[in-house]
Amino acid sequence: MNQVRRILLVSLALAAAAVGSVRAQETAPQDGIESAALDIVPPGPPCALTVRDYLEHSDSGDKIEIEWGLSPDDGSGAGDVTGYVLSRSLAEGEVGDVLEEIASGATHYVDVSVEPGVEYYYSLEAYDGTNSSERVWAGPVAGRVNLFQWSRLSVLVLMLLFFAMVTWFTAAAGKGAKLFVRRIPGLNAIEEAVGRATEMGRPVLYVPGIGEIDNIMTIASLNILSHVAKITARYDTPLIVPTARAVVMSAAEEVVKQAYAEVGNPDAYNPDNIRYLSDAQFAFAGAVNGIMLREKPAANLYMGAFWAESLLLAETGFEAGAIQVAGTAMVSQLPFFVTACDFTLMGEELYAASAYLSREPKLLGGLKGSDWMKVVSIVLMVAGIVAHIVGLEWFVAWFQTQ
Amino acid sequence: MRREIPLAITFLVGMFMLVDFFVPHHAVSSAAAEMKQWGTIVIAASILLGVGNLIRVHYKKISRKQEGWGYSIVTMSVMAIMLFFGGPWGTIQEGSAFNWMFLNVQVPLQSTMFSLLAFFIASAAYRAFRLRSVESSMLLISAIIVMLGRVPLGQLLTRGLPEQATLPWLTEMIMAYPNMAAFRGILMGAALGVMAMGLRVILGIERSYLGGDK
Amino acid sequence: MAAIIWTTIGAVLTLSVYSFLYKDNPFYKFAEHLVVGISAGYYLVIYYFNFIQPNVVSPVFQLRLGGEAIGLGSNTWWLALIPGLLGLLLYTRFFPKIGWVGRWPLGIYVGGYAGLGLSPIMQARVLDQIGANALPLTSVTNILVVGGLLGTLTYFFFSMKHKGVLGVMARVGIVFLMVGFGASFGYTVMSRVSLLIGRVSFLLHDCLHLI
Repeated sequence: MNQVRRILLVSLALAAAAVGSVRAQETAPQDGIESAALDIVPPGPPCALTVRDYLEHSDSGDKIEIEWGLSPDDGSGAGDVTGYVLSRSLAEGEVGDVLEEIASGATHYVDVSVEPGVEYYYSLEAYDGTNSSERVWAGPVAGRVNLFQWSRLSVLVLMLLFFAMVTWFTAAAGKGAKLFVRRIPGLNAIEEAVGRATEMGRPVLYVPGIGEIDNIMTIASLNILSHVAKITARYDTPLIVPTARAVVMSAAEEVVKQAYAEVGNPDAYNPDNIRYLSDAQFAFAGAVNGIMLREKPAANLYMGAFWAESLLLAETGFEAGAIQVAGTAMVSQLPFFVTACDFTLMGEELYAASAYLSREPKLLGGLKGSDWMKVVSIVLMVAGIVAHIVGLEWFVAWFQTQ
Repeated sequence: MRREIPLAITFLVGMFMLVDFFVPHHAVSSAAAEMKQWGTIVIAASILLGVGNLIRVHYKKISRKQEGWGYSIVTMSVMAIMLFFGGPWGTIQEGSAFNWMFLNVQVPLQSTMFSLLAFFIASAAYRAFRLRSVESSMLLISAIIVMLGRVPLGQLLTRGLPEQATLPWLTEMIMAYPNMAAFRGILMGAALGVMAMGLRVILGIERSYLGGDK
Repeated sequence: MAAIIWTTIGAVLTLSVYSFLYKDNPFYKFAEHLVVGISAGYYLVIYYFNFIQPNVVSPVFQLRLGGEAIGLGSNTWWLALIPGLLGLLLYTRFFPKIGWVGRWPLGIYVGGYAGLGLSPIMQARVLDQIGANALPLTSVTNILVVGGLLGTLTYFFFSMKHKGVLGVMARVGIVFLMVGFGASFGYTVMSRVSLLIGRVSFLLHDCLHLI
């Protein structure tokens, strides 16, 4: 009898619940409060919260990595977890500030806003839109400052190797070892161009690019300028140097003045020929074009960093009938110099030229060092190809730096 | 002393900046950032050197009534006007006379000069047609293919041919393989050149930029 | 009315620059000297207001905008003296006796940027390239890329004579370089033409209202 009554009661309750839930579903769209009030079961808490100093990329101690297991109701169980709320505090047992609301399904977060060396406590709760789970805690943890960026080890290794080779050959050259350097065609062209300007009694125009003085191309250019100035000083040929950067202008003044003094013709130096024109790229190009057409240099030398103005200059110079020699490592401008100039020093040739012209053994040593670095690069590349074949993928991955 | 001090400064600062790349410690990176800031300030402060040079050259031209001195007056007076508008008594905000001169005179003049390149690239291309050597004909052929391959005319010219013979396909191939190989080669070579030179600068072997050895 | 005047001036200046294509002439000379003058004044003012004032003048003189210290802030105001002083040192070159001090700021600037550049260049232009070119030689295109790169690199060998195998490889390198230059030349043509179209549309549309 009791059994029958119990079964009846249970089935009545089930029926009522069923009707209720159908009602709730019907009314849910109109009335969120009623449906929310119905879900009184909080989701299960996330499990196994772990925190640790973020090490993967050898950070500066401002990152902490947080990991957890999904709540039993995230994706399975009740399946109603909408997200997780991560909080951070400075004291154990305190909730502190909400750091981030993280979407469901995630099990990983990197806090990038920590103060290095400070201990933090983290807590995490799952959330189903209405109820929050129990909090899980972890900590204390502190971001440790790293002294070396391990992901850049390969860069350091190659760097040290390169430095060693350059200093080795530089020292060897300093001790008198003979270093062979192949002929660089554009270099003789510079001397021929200056020679022709002298014969014609017309000036030489030397444009050191529009790069700032920190650009190594500009520094290479100043080296070549020193060489050119020595020739013009010897023959008393005017040398015009228009610049787009004030510091480059003042360095060019020093270089040219020094060259004229070294050759023993300091009176021929004309400070008005080293000119600052404009920092604005095309105002500069327009003004240099004006110099080409009005002062009619017979030789135009473009050495250094050039951008889109390269062709404006080189075409105008060609139309004006000057011999033109260019040198740049700006890959995007090389095609234009190659088509519009008589000779072009391409890429590394610009740097090599500046070492070659000085004929200073110390500078030639650097050239030899970078040649050997090329050999090393080629060997590494071939080794990488072989590594692919035999499946040593880690070897290639070693080059992928951060 | 006169030579050693700047070289020592170059070495110390250069080495510090070099180390910055490998050390994630914030003390290092913030000091490096501070020094970079100093660099930009030094460069900004140098502008007066340049403008001083400009004024000197044009002033001489005007006072000696050299050829074209009238144009030098143009340069000097617009510079004075810009300084007047943008000086401490003026303003450089949007809508100010200073900003307005920049937007309505300097910008259009510069972009027109930039657009001259359309004509110059055409004349340079024409010149390339007359180049003689084997190498330059390689340059010419690949230039023509890529030029045509990127415009509708190129597609039209080779319509109906199998895909591997159409200009757009060839363009894509040239850009993706030989072009890339060549540019990687130049970049690598130039990078080694830059590094060797940069190292020499830091070590004080290269010092032409300091104005010789005196 | 004012708008019409300024558009006309803009059009005249634009045509003045184009007149250079015919030959050098007074209109071009005027435009050239105009833009040089304006840009000199412009950069002088901009460099002061964007760099010197917020980073040196304001912190040192404790200028405050809306109660907030600007630039480096008040705590480190004396740090701002250093770059200010370095900037001033550039001008010692006008005084022969102490002119050599002017090299200090240059040393800091050039040395700093040389050091700053070295490692990223090694990383991006050497290491990454080695990684990118360590390709399995299983396709024609991969062989083309690896072969082209080896050839180009060989061309840039300076301390060895380009003879024998090296000579052949350097020759291959030149061919690749030329094809690459041609491709990038051809690739740039259209972008330069579009610059011209932009200016022509300024003349025809904004000035003459023809299109």
